[in-house]
Amino acid sequence: MKIVISGIGTVSAAGINLSENLDSLRHGKRNSGPVSVFSSCLSYPVFEVKYLPEKWKIDGMRTLSLALAATEEALNDAGLPKQLSEFKAGVCLGTTVASQLNDMDFYNSFRKSGSADLKPVDRFLRGNIAEAVAHTVKAIGPATTVVNACSSGTDAIGIALSWLKSGICNVAIAGGADELNRVPLCGFGSLGILSNSLCAPFDRNRAGLNLGEGAGILVLEREDFYIRRGGKPVLYLSGYGSAADAYHLTAPRPDGKGLESALRSALYDSGISPEEVCFVNAHGTGTIDNDKVEGSVLSRVFGENISFFSTKGYTGHTLGGAGGIEAAYTAAALKEGWIPASAGFACRDDEIPLTPVTENTDIKGSFAVSTSLAFGGNNAAIVIERA
Amino acid sequence: MFISGIGIVFTRGRGIDSLEKALNQGWSSPSLTGPIPAYRVSQETLTDTSLSKKIRRADRFSRMAVLSAVDACRDSCINVNERGKIGIVLSTAFGPHSTTFSFIDDILDYGDANVSPTKFSNSVHNAAASYVSSVLGSRGPTITLAQFSFPFQNALVLAGLWLNEGRCEHVLCGCVDELNAVMEYACKMKLKTATDGKIMPFMFSPAPLSVPGEGGAFFMLSKEKCQNNYGEVTGISFSGKTNGKPDITIIDSDGMTGDETLYRETTNSTVAGYSPLFGSMLIGSAFNFAAASLILKNQLVYKCPVTDNPSGIKLCSTTSETGINQINCVRICGTGKISTIIMQK
Repeated sequence: MKIVISGIGTVSAAGINLSENLDSLRHGKRNSGPVSVFSSCLSYPVFEVKYLPEKWKIDGMRTLSLALAATEEALNDAGLPKQLSEFKAGVCLGTTVASQLNDMDFYNSFRKSGSADLKPVDRFLRGNIAEAVAHTVKAIGPATTVVNACSSGTDAIGIALSWLKSGICNVAIAGGADELNRVPLCGFGSLGILSNSLCAPFDRNRAGLNLGEGAGILVLEREDFYIRRGGKPVLYLSGYGSAADAYHLTAPRPDGKGLESALRSALYDSGISPEEVCFVNAHGTGTIDNDKVEGSVLSRVFGENISFFSTKGYTGHTLGGAGGIEAAYTAAALKEGWIPASAGFACRDDEIPLTPVTENTDIKGSFAVSTSLAFGGNNAAIVIERA
Repeated sequence: MFISGIGIVFTRGRGIDSLEKALNQGWSSPSLTGPIPAYRVSQETLTDTSLSKKIRRADRFSRMAVLSAVDACRDSCINVNERGKIGIVLSTAFGPHSTTFSFIDDILDYGDANVSPTKFSNSVHNAAASYVSSVLGSRGPTITLAQFSFPFQNALVLAGLWLNEGRCEHVLCGCVDELNAVMEYACKMKLKTATDGKIMPFMFSPAPLSVPGEGGAFFMLSKEKCQNNYGEVTGISFSGKTNGKPDITIIDSDGMTGDETLYRETTNSTVAGYSPLFGSMLIGSAFNFAAASLILKNQLVYKCPVTDNPSGIKLCSTTSETGINQINCVRICGTGKISTIIMQK
């Protein structure tokens, strides 16, 4: 059973829908700036979503707002109604921030006085993003939130693939969403991996990542179901692979065996060889370790001539949203036949055996890969196919 | 899929033997030292000198995960290193929130630029699964899920899919949640607390009483029957409908999800519920599932720890040997949606 990608929705600093996002990628727009969505003394550049449709602004639930905006676009793109109760529909979404009860005012009040207004707790209990999106679109199938740190979005798409193949559901909303939040900003700052300037994935002088926010959503459907409702498949989600490093809480395994295993598993799941892949949308955060390991593994698996890029230079690292946003970009690029220049790259790093594309590049081929590496040593990859 | 190993950390100790002992001994009072009665896990339970180097930086949440996962692995007699890829699925409702709050303490006390990177990395939800994979040397797919409705059931579904797809031969699948002062405050304010410490699973009340608990429960699930076998999961239904009548229905009613009147409609066979042994938790299904696994393996029905039964339903009211072929484990979430895990000998 093949699984169709029937709809795409994206919101990020690069734009409030897929079209705006692709326009930013095409024209090299990097909409970064200082943090404005909360107060912080940290002055690292970030990638914020500057405009959210009024209807999706939900007080204190920014991640959910982002997810709902992208979901609406994806459902429209798929030609599905806003409410899915008549279908066997599931929701599988990745996040990091929305899974934590991290309201500063609530906690500060509690620790000072032993009591606090419970509205933030109520919001948290209503805000599990898969459950909340499923509730909004009236999806009656499975609803699961994946919290695998930075690979959450990719893993969520992989889980939805399994659901659809097994027939648990006919339609799935899958991807990831995360808001810019003070906790991860402070946390990544403490780890010393935030860049004071715009990130430069795979560049010799890269100095760390920039945080961002956004959501990327795919609507996935079983091919028989999609064709029955009148669709003509253009894109398929053809494979997913995942593997753990079993190495370190924050650093990737230096030999990259976890990522390599995830990639080979995704290719195997798709039934294709590495030579059939025409480009890779890399995780490419712009940190020293990530890019070094990822570059080496891509070279080992696909050879030194593989076309690849990172879009973190356009969106920042959107954490649990990254896998969803990058899957959306990968699908759109494969469909349109071009890939964007890897923003921020200028100088080859001798320790990385290949270089990303430095200008918008036409591509020909049927298969593309998107990768994610995460805290905790999680590695995930998906393969997307053009019909 | 077959259940080939169980590891558990809860208020009465660590390991499947502790659960078996608790099932035989029956109800005991929770800790009454905090703001509300609660079934807390002692620090002593979470100490393991053989693992101390590997989990020296791990918080309580991750320790509960590691100890229960390692015990499930040992109980199964499956050698992770020989078997290569073993999948890990960890599900939670609230994640390692104590460490999140501790990290926020740093922000509030010392400012945004002076926080602990160790606390931050441990506050990420998948840190616990990462510790599990590192301690076991497991490099298969590793996923952490977070949800309030059916956290254990959705983890089981995923484990079953991975086994069927051949992504792994075995999956360590489990749940973890922890208590702390903030969570106890939220429970106190939002739930009705059993001031005498007794959860009453068979009251079917619209406003049931709870006694919050914490712990971890992991299961080694295998595609093929292994040397150690507790039983088989033959289905997971979310429709409220199942085929055949089970010998026992174990219900998850524990006061945690509000109105429990709907549970009354699931009691057309002999009924059991063991939540009074481990406490009220959104992941409580995993602990009842462990009890069900023991019943199937030992062919021994354990007496319900609290038997207040105003509806007069047929309860497991004595501990006795009997032939048990099928157990249904039922959970009803706050929206009224029903899940049934069907287990067979």
